[in-house]
Amino acid sequence: MDLEFSAEDEEYRQRLRAWLKENVGGGGDSPNAVMKQAEEDPEAAKDPLAGARAWPRRLHDAGYVGLAWPKEYGGQDASFTQQVICGEEMAKVRTPPLINTIGLSIIGPTLVQHGTEEQKKRFLPRILRADDLWCQGFSEPEAGSDLASLRCRAELDGDEFVVNGQKVWTSLAFLSDWMFLLVRTDPDAPKREGISYLLLDMKSPGIEVRPLRNAAGGQHFSEVFFDNVRIPKKNLVGELNKGWSIARSSLDHERSGLSGVVALEETLGRLFRMAGKVDRGQQKSVEDQSARRALAQHWIAIEGLRHLGYRTLSDQIAGKPPGAGSSVGKLFASELRQEMTRTAMDLQGPFAPIAKRSPHVVDRGRWHAAYFDALAHSIGGGTSEIMRNVIAEKVLGLPRAQED
Amino acid sequence: MDFNLSEEQEALQDMARDFLSERWPRERVREQLDARPALVDDDVWQEIVEMGWLGVAASEEAGGIGGDIMTAAVLCREAGRGVLPGPFQSSLVAAIALERSGDKELVSGLLSELIEGKTRVSVAIDESAGLYGGASVAAHASESSSGWLLSGSKFLVPDANEADVLLVAAQTPDGPGLVRVSTEAEGVTINRMDRMDGQSCAEVVFENAPVEGSALVGGKDRGASLLHDVYDIATVLLAADLLGSAEASLELTRLYAIEREQFGKPIGSFQAVSHRLANTLVDVEIGISLLYGACLALDEGRDNAGPLVSGAKAWLSDAAVDAAETALQIHGGVGFTWEYDVHLHMRRSRCNAALQGDADHHRDRVAAYMSEDWVPQIKS
Ligand SMILES: Cc1cc2nc3c(=O)[nH]c(=O)nc-3n(C[C@H](O)[C@H](O)[C@H](O)COP(=O)(O)OP(=O)(O)OC[C@H]3O[C@@H](n4cnc5c(N)ncnc54)[C@H](O)[C@@H]3O)c2cc1C
Repeated sequence: MDLEFSAEDEEYRQRLRAWLKENVGGGGDSPNAVMKQAEEDPEAAKDPLAGARAWPRRLHDAGYVGLAWPKEYGGQDASFTQQVICGEEMAKVRTPPLINTIGLSIIGPTLVQHGTEEQKKRFLPRILRADDLWCQGFSEPEAGSDLASLRCRAELDGDEFVVNGQKVWTSLAFLSDWMFLLVRTDPDAPKREGISYLLLDMKSPGIEVRPLRNAAGGQHFSEVFFDNVRIPKKNLVGELNKGWSIARSSLDHERSGLSGVVALEETLGRLFRMAGKVDRGQQKSVEDQSARRALAQHWIAIEGLRHLGYRTLSDQIAGKPPGAGSSVGKLFASELRQEMTRTAMDLQGPFAPIAKRSPHVVDRGRWHAAYFDALAHSIGGGTSEIMRNVIAEKVLGLPRAQED
Repeated sequence: MDFNLSEEQEALQDMARDFLSERWPRERVREQLDARPALVDDDVWQEIVEMGWLGVAASEEAGGIGGDIMTAAVLCREAGRGVLPGPFQSSLVAAIALERSGDKELVSGLLSELIEGKTRVSVAIDESAGLYGGASVAAHASESSSGWLLSGSKFLVPDANEADVLLVAAQTPDGPGLVRVSTEAEGVTINRMDRMDGQSCAEVVFENAPVEGSALVGGKDRGASLLHDVYDIATVLLAADLLGSAEASLELTRLYAIEREQFGKPIGSFQAVSHRLANTLVDVEIGISLLYGACLALDEGRDNAGPLVSGAKAWLSDAAVDAAETALQIHGGVGFTWEYDVHLHMRRSRCNAALQGDADHHRDRVAAYMSEDWVPQIKS
């Protein structure tokens, strides 16, 4: 048993660290500076997202995105350990968020696995360079956890599908160039056998995107309506009516849990520091025993998640199937994030209600945002209840809850 | 990067599990609850000795097999799962303490005898004031004309009634450490205590018990660090035992939830049942991960071993008790019967959760580490 990375992997880590040091934070070269430059470039005036695209492009030029993808489509063919190292190191220096995350983490890997040669050549390099931004059109008003009951219809008309219906909670739909979506192509088949997986150009006529305001007050997801929207047949992923199993694999393409651990640890560090500033009676919050125990429990849970990640990685390296790791990790991490932000709200004591931009607010109001964000984590990408169903059925082998 | 048990460790795990399920039927555990104290039967003990379990983490010179703490934890996890009573774990901890003393005479003498099953040795750390491990113990040895005099009292000392020799955590003229005392010595009184799970333990009172200055295990140089390490090792092995209990409770309940039907369906199809078991599984998986992390940190002698050990103990103390309570609830009426095994795991995990520091004690230890040494990962 060991937690050592090979000399080659350590070298990779050092190279990446050096690159990040040059390119994140310090100097005029930082991603923020790059984004700004791009925004100010007169050529880019046409694209309001030029700034946001600049950072992923820079990462791509240096070979730090698309790690798991084949080289021929612009990927790196990197090992599992290198993927983990990359996730860890980037999280450690808090690289800016990637505007093309949905493309990189969901549809890209799906196309690598299931796409036609033409689809791979056409889409993958553009995802890597953030030329195309993607959104995920799975959920519908009547189909959330029970995704397979989706109703959005597509009918073949010659060489084209004609789509009618609605999607909802579509993150970043209003920014996206493309959507990957699930549609019902055979209404008479059993519900999992009549679904197809399509790729839709968001500039097609007949699409209406209505942004929704979320509970935190921001704009993140939208409703999307389709009125006789036409999609060429070549944009079908996999076979007709066989989209469900591909969708399942999309749901499994999650980022390595280990980069999430770094983020949680950073949050705990901030929480600990905040607790050292806020008063609780005659002492600071961090001196209060129940607060100390809560913080210690978070530390323990994060170490548990980190070492679970090492076990999963070791299995991957040894070529074993990913086992319980991914659903356990997702459930545990999202619940832990909620517990931590709840502690953060509690430890602020009388300062907890104070809104952002108000003069007395603690840590510039970051905890309110983190609190709301954490609450969404146990809903998006499969709710915690659904994760428990999966664990009960797939890991514990308990009988299915519902007949369908 | 290989953070899983080795093939040898897995083989040892399978072998131990098979051995215990065959040679240590739960019926014996139940019988011993009525005829306390619970101790391994002599013939089974003999086989355990012959398989070399007591020397699993001792060097080959001492007759051991040279395994590490992780390997010792593999056996303790199976002992927890198989509800194996003392003096297995206490002997194993004592063997590790003697091995690490670096004292050649102790290794070739007392340790070999222990491994061969000729002499029984146990380690006495906990005190009734809730002082655990390290330098916090109150028992002390003071200088006298003919050596040292040991005073104080130890609490819940495992298998003290059966032991020939005790390694007692105490403050000494040469610093804190483990002092070797014969249970027959003058000034040593052993008062039997009863554990909820039937296992043998005792209060041991020392009233000016004479011991030789050379009785400090590891001597002046290593005494303090040895006590520190032994406390962590004993704690992590207890955590391994708790993991075995938690896994046993979960497995019992899993099988029952598949088999038992109500309202025309297996009860495992009700989410109130299946989600509770899913939560238990998550707790167990995190517990395994923490246990491995703590064992590896100890085996590699890393600085953060202490908080990881405490993390594993805190987590598994909660998780094992929770798994047992879940098991009882989900078994319904039969879960509350003497004949079902549920209460065996409940009793054992309840005891182990409180020994060598309960969950809150270990969370406090983690909190102290966070204040002193932890460098929060913040980049402003
Ligand atoms: C911030 C955010 C971003 C999102 N982004 C996207 C996106 O980009 N694309 C996309 O397609 N979707 C997206 N979603 C939608 C998300 O996937 C769904 O909200 C989620 O799958 C739950 O579906 P629902 O909202 O219809 O809730 P429901 O399925 O109606 O669930 C309501 C409650 O019932 C529980 N429940 C449902 N079924 C069961 C069951 N079988 N057993 C036990 N409990 C059950 C749920 O756990 C939940 O608590 C996003 C959601 C959020 C919050």
